[in-house]
Amino acid sequence: MAGLTEDPNPVLDIDGLLINQEHNNTQEDKSAVLGKDREENSSKNQNQAERDMASIHRSGSRPQLDLSKAAIEGNFEEKDPTILLPNQSDDISHLALDIGGSLIKLVYFSRHEGQSINDKRKKTLKERLGISNGTRRSYPILGGRLHFVKFETTKINECLDFIRSKQLHRGGMDSRHWNAEAPANENAVIKATGGGAFKFADLFKERLGVSLDKEDEMDCLVAGANFLLKAIRHEAFTHMEGRKEFVQIDHNDLFPYLLVNIGSGVSMIKVDGDGKFQRVSGTNVGGGTYWGLGRLLTKCKSFDELLELSQRGDNSTIDMLVGDIYGGMDYSKIGLSASTIASSFGKAISDNKELEDYSPEDISLSLLRMISYNIGQIAYLNALRFGLKRIFFGGFFIRGHAYTMDTISFAVHFWSKGDAQAMFLRHEGFLGALGAFMSYEKHGLDDLMVHQLVERFPMGAPYTGGKIHGPPLGDLNEKISWMEKFVLKGTEITAPVPMAPPPGTTGLGGFEVPSSKGGTLRSDASALNVGVLHLVPTLEVFPQLADPKMYEPNTIDLADHNELEYWFTVLSGHLPDLVDKAVASEGGTDDAKRRGDAFARAFSAHLSRLIEDPAAYGKLGLANLLELREECLREFQFHDAYRSIKQRENEASLAVLADLLAELDSMSEETRLLSLIEGVLAANIFDWGSRACVDLYHKGTIIEIYRMSRDKMQRPWRVDDFDLFKERMLGSGDKKPQPHKRALLFVDNSGADIVLGMLPLARELLRRGTEVVLVANSLPALNDVTAMEVPDIVAEAAKHCDILRRAAEAGSLLVDAMINPSDSSKENSSSVPLMVVENGCGSPCIDLRQVSSELAAAAKDADLIILEGMGRALHTNFNARFKCDVLKLAMVKNQRFVFSFLA
Amino acid sequence: MDAGFHGKLDADQSESQISHLALDIGGTLIKLVYFSRNKDRPIDENKNSKNSVIDGRLHFAKFETSKINDCLEFILSNKLHLGGFRHHEDPASDKILIKATGGGAYRFADLIKEKLGVGIEKEEEMECLVAGANFLLKAVHQEAYTYMDGQKEFVHIDHNDLYPYLLVNIGSGVSMIKVDSDGQFERISGTSVGGGTFWGLGRLLTKCKSFDELLELSHQGNNRVIDMLVGDIYGGLDYSKIGLSSTTIASSFGKAISDNRELEEYNPEDIARSLLRMISNNIGQIAYLNALRFGLKRIFFGGFFIRSHAFTMDTISVAVNFWSKGEAKAMFLNHEGFLGALGAFMSYKKCGRDDSISPQLGQRYPVCTPLVGDKICYPLNGDLSDNDSLECSVYVA
Repeated sequence: MAGLTEDPNPVLDIDGLLINQEHNNTQEDKSAVLGKDREENSSKNQNQAERDMASIHRSGSRPQLDLSKAAIEGNFEEKDPTILLPNQSDDISHLALDIGGSLIKLVYFSRHEGQSINDKRKKTLKERLGISNGTRRSYPILGGRLHFVKFETTKINECLDFIRSKQLHRGGMDSRHWNAEAPANENAVIKATGGGAFKFADLFKERLGVSLDKEDEMDCLVAGANFLLKAIRHEAFTHMEGRKEFVQIDHNDLFPYLLVNIGSGVSMIKVDGDGKFQRVSGTNVGGGTYWGLGRLLTKCKSFDELLELSQRGDNSTIDMLVGDIYGGMDYSKIGLSASTIASSFGKAISDNKELEDYSPEDISLSLLRMISYNIGQIAYLNALRFGLKRIFFGGFFIRGHAYTMDTISFAVHFWSKGDAQAMFLRHEGFLGALGAFMSYEKHGLDDLMVHQLVERFPMGAPYTGGKIHGPPLGDLNEKISWMEKFVLKGTEITAPVPMAPPPGTTGLGGFEVPSSKGGTLRSDASALNVGVLHLVPTLEVFPQLADPKMYEPNTIDLADHNELEYWFTVLSGHLPDLVDKAVASEGGTDDAKRRGDAFARAFSAHLSRLIEDPAAYGKLGLANLLELREECLREFQFHDAYRSIKQRENEASLAVLADLLAELDSMSEETRLLSLIEGVLAANIFDWGSRACVDLYHKGTIIEIYRMSRDKMQRPWRVDDFDLFKERMLGSGDKKPQPHKRALLFVDNSGADIVLGMLPLARELLRRGTEVVLVANSLPALNDVTAMEVPDIVAEAAKHCDILRRAAEAGSLLVDAMINPSDSSKENSSSVPLMVVENGCGSPCIDLRQVSSELAAAAKDADLIILEGMGRALHTNFNARFKCDVLKLAMVKNQRFVFSFLA
Repeated sequence: MDAGFHGKLDADQSESQISHLALDIGGTLIKLVYFSRNKDRPIDENKNSKNSVIDGRLHFAKFETSKINDCLEFILSNKLHLGGFRHHEDPASDKILIKATGGGAYRFADLIKEKLGVGIEKEEEMECLVAGANFLLKAVHQEAYTYMDGQKEFVHIDHNDLYPYLLVNIGSGVSMIKVDSDGQFERISGTSVGGGTFWGLGRLLTKCKSFDELLELSHQGNNRVIDMLVGDIYGGLDYSKIGLSSTTIASSFGKAISDNRELEEYNPEDIARSLLRMISNNIGQIAYLNALRFGLKRIFFGGFFIRSHAFTMDTISVAVNFWSKGEAKAMFLNHEGFLGALGAFMSYKKCGRDDSISPQLGQRYPVCTPLVGDKICYPLNGDLSDNDSLECSVYVA
């Protein structure tokens, strides 16, 4: 409360003016979109169907279709004939395997059937916006999920059980020949790579009745790497001194690069393009050497144990350092410091100590540094030789192991004198499996674009980490039990141990002694989490972004540890209240309580994981964190925790709307414009995402709070471009400006925010002849209004206002809301339309690189964008630049933001 | 360690005939180079007036650094330390200085002062290496040779076409030096995986008592027992697509991971072999990549790791041959262990004083045979058997 009344800090910001009047002409697509033409030519209809199927529903996207023998059923007069696809299975999924010596990696695709909201509103919208379903791809991209799973090779039976339980082997063949009813037959084939593809072929045949189709390892590696580097925005990262930094790579400037795969041995592959590569070098000193020598020298039982040991080692007891030779002095003439390793294991020669006298920790570290440095050096020399700018390191030796990455990076940095950087891949363990997946004739990933992929981290992510996958979790109940089982483990996750000071320079044989006295190195929790890739073919880049390549949605970068800790505290503090609401929204049953507990644990675990390693899930911005919370709620089947609150507030606000509109109508144009903007800001106070506001709710009724806040709006605001806006709207002097053609209003919260803030503003724009598109969330997030809910709100508001009613009718919004459907046709022409589109998100923020195709279509003709609320206008997109006019409106309810970004 | 340490040199070598001792005190070995005048060949007065020439022998000896006391004993008993020079800036002082290089020149300076009563004049290590190599390559016939499939083949090198070359000195660690001319060179690379690694890891893995024992073992070993070969991965097949034969090592020590065998169950011979191949191969590869990078035609490998050990040279040669696809050849030096000591020896000329012999070594008489010479120093433990001497002349300024 205090923070609110003292410093409301409303923000109004107008970015630039119309930059680009060129809009892609989509005329050709427009006419052919809906498949209602009575074309007799069946092949054309097939194409039509294929295109229809491939697009537009965010989560209910369709799998790859088998169109053989497709036929239109029934009457051609019918508006939407059913298309029968007799050869199309419902459950197509692909599975591909990489069976290595120590791990089996699985990549599989599952079609995800979401609820499609294919109502009439959408159809009309499609017509009006001319949304193109057309796709020029040879095979449509499947909507669904790409899963990444690992098993230890020694536990291959668990892996087989997993495959069987998910029936993954049944979809692994070319769907064209697949008949869902038939039992697995001789023809069933799964793509596989890795040495085990040979070794275990018989076992797969026997246990699952499938044959393994062996794919060349190198082909798979390269295909996997190319896919990841092109399709995933934050796939590659550098790792120096314990710190990960994601590198965004321009897809057009990816090739050539050097791919260094560190398995038992090391292969160095020069990649020139898709399917174009050459193994240019390698070394026999690789992961097998580390593990083999390490086993002989330390009696470790596993590779991971050996790595673990190295964390606590001190290699100066075994390695001969420059200082050992030069009596503690640097060999400065050639730039070698005293702590540079002159000779790996060189001290073991002169001592009278036997193997038993050395600590296994020290041995492991010496070995790790020797091998990592060596690989880094040879890789750099090869990159230099072929003029390759980028070196990516992958393979099981790395395993997300922080110190290994550091040593390799250090070697590359050292030998290149800082010119080259080692890079690593988040999905490094899955390159081969992914490549095998890509080797299916129709894998559907060919033309996948970055913006069509969304990575989600399911509930288990904090625990499984980069490690072995747990048991297959079938249903929600299993998930909850599993969470409960991990409660103890969850509490073990603690704040990170700070990294020791960075090592300095290096030399002769090469390298600075690591600052590796026991305990100072961070425990290796840095194994990266690999999420589930959601393939959403309908997502597009928001077309009005001025520079999509440079666009970064997040204003707050959580790589900054202070920010991260602050938000960690905020979100943790919110958690109990959120759980209460969520449980209440599901009727407060025992089941709901149990799910609520599990959600709280799972989300806390995510938070702990991220505070420990902010880069664990890729580049972390505030938007990602807030979205993670919503995803986590959905995972425990809380689909709309604020449902009843939203309803209540909508009703309360709608009840006072008529009075507000009357008040506004009595004002002069100029006063009204200011009041409208003030109203938006005032109404934006109602926000369940803000602690201060939650407290406020207990103090008064909606309209009281609204009036009070609006009265307090004293210009100038913290960021205040109102005068610019006024001039654009009303002109100056005698010049009356052209109204905007179409405005996109990104709405925020339910209740007062939309009803008393945004709707009156929309109404003003409509009155001035501007088409208005209300852009709302596809899925619920906090108390944000969703695209599903907006038509009802508009319909209700329309009862009190002619302008809104006619515009809503023109936009066919009232058809769904069942208000005078018969009148709609005759009044259509009298008003510009008011429309609603979903934005493709389920988050309080918005990443404009990934929006729904209907929003993208609507945006093409827009010349005014209004972003409202902290989530969409400040926490994200505060720095975004657009091709057209934009208003960013938000009430800042967070002192911290004011100091950090508005100071 | 051996009681049989001899006290004196041959009787005909009196102290007056010994001149100019230089040391290279490395992390593992101490190398000595000193000159002895041929008694039967007095100073050749027939030479041009400026220089007189002394014929004699250049001797080479080695000790383990850990047994430095034996080495000092040897020097003392043979009065080699008197073959230093007097500091020209302080003629009054009777302080004798001995040229030395290597890290130990710093580390053991005090000890040497105490035991021998002489000071150490430190010479820069890399400079000594290069000076030694340049001298050998230019002055000694049949110094450089290739070694492939057990065949040693001397390479004649045109003095005028010697530079630039890559000198790879494999000591405890490895330095790679690009030599552009006399006195002009740059350390461009190196690796910490060197002779010390071979011996250090070898000692831990095999309980060998000495470097040479370990080398000896490697001779009898079979690396296939421990190394993972391409054929092991591809079921005995070549991975022909990328040109790897089934016998190519895919992963050194890679087989040690999957077996349930413990260290004791592996033959020390096999371990030594795998280790040697791993390290030689690696050095050969990195050396080749560096030569390629700077467009150097010749790569000379030196340093105590090689020790004219056939198999070591073979593996390095194979590595260079493999990675260069036959375009480059590894070359070795007959006196590979003594580059530093020789360079330090050469540096006496820099502080020429009339009262001391400031030699310029030149090959007045061709060396009779590469490795002839009186065995003047009996190795302490029988391992360091390759001490030799080189017949040569010294121009006295």
